Amino acid sequence: MKRKLTYISAVIISLLLITTITASNSEPDDTPVALVKKIVKDVTHRSGQEGAWEEAKTGIPLKNGEEVRTGYKSLALVLFTDGSGLIRVRENSILHIYGENVDQKLSKNTFIQKGKIGFDVQKQEDEEFKFTTPTAVASIRGTAGSIGVTDTTTIITCRRGLIGITTQTSSGDLPGGKTANINQKGDIVITETTASEQEQHNQTEQTETKTIKIRTREGILEIDYYPPLGQGN
Amino acid sequence: MKIKNLISVKVFIILILLQVLPQTAYSQISEIVSAVTFSESKEGQPLSVRVDLKQVSQINSVTMAYRNLSDSEFKLREMELIGSSATLVIPGDEILVPTLTYYVIIQQTTGEEVAYPEGYPSMAEPLQIMVTAVSQKDKEIVVLSPAPGELVPLEDMFISISFIKAPENVDVSKTKIELNGVDISKMALVAGDLIIFYANNFPGVAKEGAQNLNIEVFDKEGKSYHKIKSNFQAAQGDYYTSLSTKFKYLANVEAESRNENFGGAAIWYNNLTANANGSYGDWELRGYAYLTSEEDKKLQPQHRFSVGINNTWLRLRVGDTYPRFPDMIMDGKRVRGVSGALELGYFNINATFGEIARGLEGSIIETYPSISALGENIIKVDSAKYGNPYAKVNLGTYNREVFAVRPSFGSGENFQLGFTYLHAIDDKNSIELNTPKENIVAGTDLKLAFDNQNIIFKTQASVSLHNSNITEGTFTDEDLDSLFKSDDGSLSGDRDQFETLRDLLGNFMTVNQFIGPINPEKLSSLGAEAELQLSYFNNSVRASYIYRGNDYQSFGQDFVRNDVKGLNVSDRIRLFDNRVFLLFGYEKLEDNLQETKQMTTFFETMNSSISYFPRNNFPNLTLGYSTFKNYNDIDTLGEFSTDDITNRISAILSYNFIAEIRHNASFNVSTSTREDNSLINADAKYTSLSLSVNSFWNSDLASFLSLTYYKSEISTEPYNYTMLSLGGKYQMLDDKLELAVYLSPSFGDYKRQSFDFIGQYEAMKNLRLIMQIRFYTISGQSANSISGLTLRYDI
Repeated sequence: MKRKLTYISAVIISLLLITTITASNSEPDDTPVALVKKIVKDVTHRSGQEGAWEEAKTGIPLKNGEEVRTGYKSLALVLFTDGSGLIRVRENSILHIYGENVDQKLSKNTFIQKGKIGFDVQKQEDEEFKFTTPTAVASIRGTAGSIGVTDTTTIITCRRGLIGITTQTSSGDLPGGKTANINQKGDIVITETTASEQEQHNQTEQTETKTIKIRTREGILEIDYYPPLGQGN
Repeated sequence: MKIKNLISVKVFIILILLQVLPQTAYSQISEIVSAVTFSESKEGQPLSVRVDLKQVSQINSVTMAYRNLSDSEFKLREMELIGSSATLVIPGDEILVPTLTYYVIIQQTTGEEVAYPEGYPSMAEPLQIMVTAVSQKDKEIVVLSPAPGELVPLEDMFISISFIKAPENVDVSKTKIELNGVDISKMALVAGDLIIFYANNFPGVAKEGAQNLNIEVFDKEGKSYHKIKSNFQAAQGDYYTSLSTKFKYLANVEAESRNENFGGAAIWYNNLTANANGSYGDWELRGYAYLTSEEDKKLQPQHRFSVGINNTWLRLRVGDTYPRFPDMIMDGKRVRGVSGALELGYFNINATFGEIARGLEGSIIETYPSISALGENIIKVDSAKYGNPYAKVNLGTYNREVFAVRPSFGSGENFQLGFTYLHAIDDKNSIELNTPKENIVAGTDLKLAFDNQNIIFKTQASVSLHNSNITEGTFTDEDLDSLFKSDDGSLSGDRDQFETLRDLLGNFMTVNQFIGPINPEKLSSLGAEAELQLSYFNNSVRASYIYRGNDYQSFGQDFVRNDVKGLNVSDRIRLFDNRVFLLFGYEKLEDNLQETKQMTTFFETMNSSISYFPRNNFPNLTLGYSTFKNYNDIDTLGEFSTDDITNRISAILSYNFIAEIRHNASFNVSTSTREDNSLINADAKYTSLSLSVNSFWNSDLASFLSLTYYKSEISTEPYNYTMLSLGGKYQMLDDKLELAVYLSPSFGDYKRQSFDFIGQYEAMKNLRLIMQIRFYTISGQSANSISGLTLRYDI
């Protein structure tokens, strides 16, 4: 019961934060929360759920409430504008970026709607850095890891540092070298990161591309693509 | 290949560090060192050092000795010697405000060691460079992209600067941004607290190659608030793509032919250097080879080569390696062999195996049919070969091999416990004219950190054993019987004890009558130290204790100070947002730990300094005062007594300012007085003063001017000189040709005229031609010259 209350509190606080941030968005604050550092293939973005998806370009700033979507075999590197961390958005993912700059401190709360992201976040002082998924809230303080979201589970791998996890039924800390599997009920199962999970995590760290050049009658066709696991990098 | 002179990103960063704001010490007299160049020295950041050398054929190895103002001892690291330069990167955690004091030790092929500055320690003072503090402003204003050293595709290049953490009084819109000397401030977009410049919107502004970014931030009153420098590289997209895929590789080959003429004797050097770097995913491969006409089997190795592979958990290097273990055991000594480390975090293991000295035969000076006692260079020789059983010799050097291993537990961030074992042995068969030796060292080290590294405790302890003559090998049972047999034919009880000792230690080293230490019960071969660091309330307090017995020795570490114990305490206080630093340090050491000397000598040092780093239009300033007092525990003046006190006052100013054009200026003054009350009465006074101004007239032309005045009086013997250095660097032909000229006359007791010309021409995209001519004369000696031609090809 206590855990349930904790989770409900965390969700309410997150929602309040998002609501507050959204509300404050109406006030004039031109400072972007993040920017797109690198794009591979099909990456689009939109400003809020009502907006239309537009092609993202390298260096494009992302304001509070904007969303980033990656397509098949695509990748986006997202950099927070306070220099606190980097997110690697893997293929077929949708990421919502929220942030609030109060007293020169940028609180970040990133909602992963679906897909997989890798992150590398520096030690936070007073700022918040949270990842929210449909079943869990992960609080980050100087951590590297990855989060994968499917319709039924959230898988969080902590490579180094510590991640605080709260769900509707549980809460706990995830240290480096461990992986948490969270089901729809909010049950957390923490295990040593297996070789397969490590490989999945490593995949989120890939940021480079392969190029195939095909000589055709019309000229050279270049195909720039994000390599599948084990074939690139 | 679309990028000029691309090496690897790491090498690029080191080169850029050395080029951006080099602090160069030209103005010290030396017949071997022509310049020592440092990268920008900032607290906590790695510091690159390059020592440019003359008369390379006479040099075996180069060692850098350095210490922070609060350190009790110099750290000594062997530098990587390639061609006419020796380089070293000092780790960031060893760089502390306010100064780094250093000198250089050059070991010559004759075995003799000389120092830079010449005469150190008895006839000269060590040198200092200023270390500036990392500003809080560096955290307030952040270059988000590109990261330092990053390679970016030209068509996607953008520069982004974040002001999110900057205070209210900063005016983002007034920020001045220069890319390669071109003002791009008006081309950048200001989005709230973010500035973004898209290169694609302004074709031609950014070109491929190395990019220098200078940012100056202003407050709302228009005053300069902060300056940031950064460097990165840009490449055309197709080249960038080829770099970003599969196996990435970069290589270059450099061929040099150089003639050095000293005192009428000319020597030709022909050198070939090849570097290759590659990466595949997390794996990095690095190889280099330096082949020189100076390689000679009668000298220590002059060729250098190595191949290394590493990723986040494994490092392996074959060839010439510089492994690091706890510094009392082995710390950066060159090993020709294999070094590696497996770093899993919870368990790690470092190991090295290879040769640390090549066997070089000595020579006979004189032979004797009999002698009263063996001496340092009077040894037993093969009488059948040399006619007599004893000889006075020029001692040779044995081929010496070393093996060291250190398993450790914990990542080292908050905890690490390590155990180190080192074994070094001379190859008895490699030469004849010396006595082969052997050494083992076993040690342990521990690091604990608490409260986010605000409390750090580090300790290490090692015990050594050595054998000064392993010619006859370990005692056999018969040897022991013979040794411990009494007159009546019975064996004494000590035999069993010695046999037990032999059986125990004999598994590790040769056990015979030459094994040491002879007084282990007095902890004579123990080396230990412990250090506690506390960082609270803007104070960094450090207290350490060291103990090293008189017989502690490790063949892996040539420079451990023995026979010393004592305490060192220091406090560095940071004030006004790291703009003012106060330092107080006290140290008291003493020797004669095993009472092997007639009297004990005490060494007391007090350091104090104040530094001011305004980071605006005012010079960085450090004022220091130190006292070194050495004395004995007895009052009676005798031949070996010590009683002296040295007071040193120094001031260092550095100032980067704009007066029509950009200038970097520095001013150093140091004076010290030694009052020697011992019988030797070696009173001494030193004063040195130097001023340098580097002026950047435009992106093509820079000029350099420095003036040094040195005055000393040692035992009433005065020595004074003044040295003037001036020069300039000019780039032309679309930056393809760079010409540099330096002129440096000196006057007074050291009269020298020196002229340097360096020309670099980019003949083709990947081919660079470098010509160097140095000509100098020293009063009373014949003219000396160095002239060389280097071809460099990037693959």
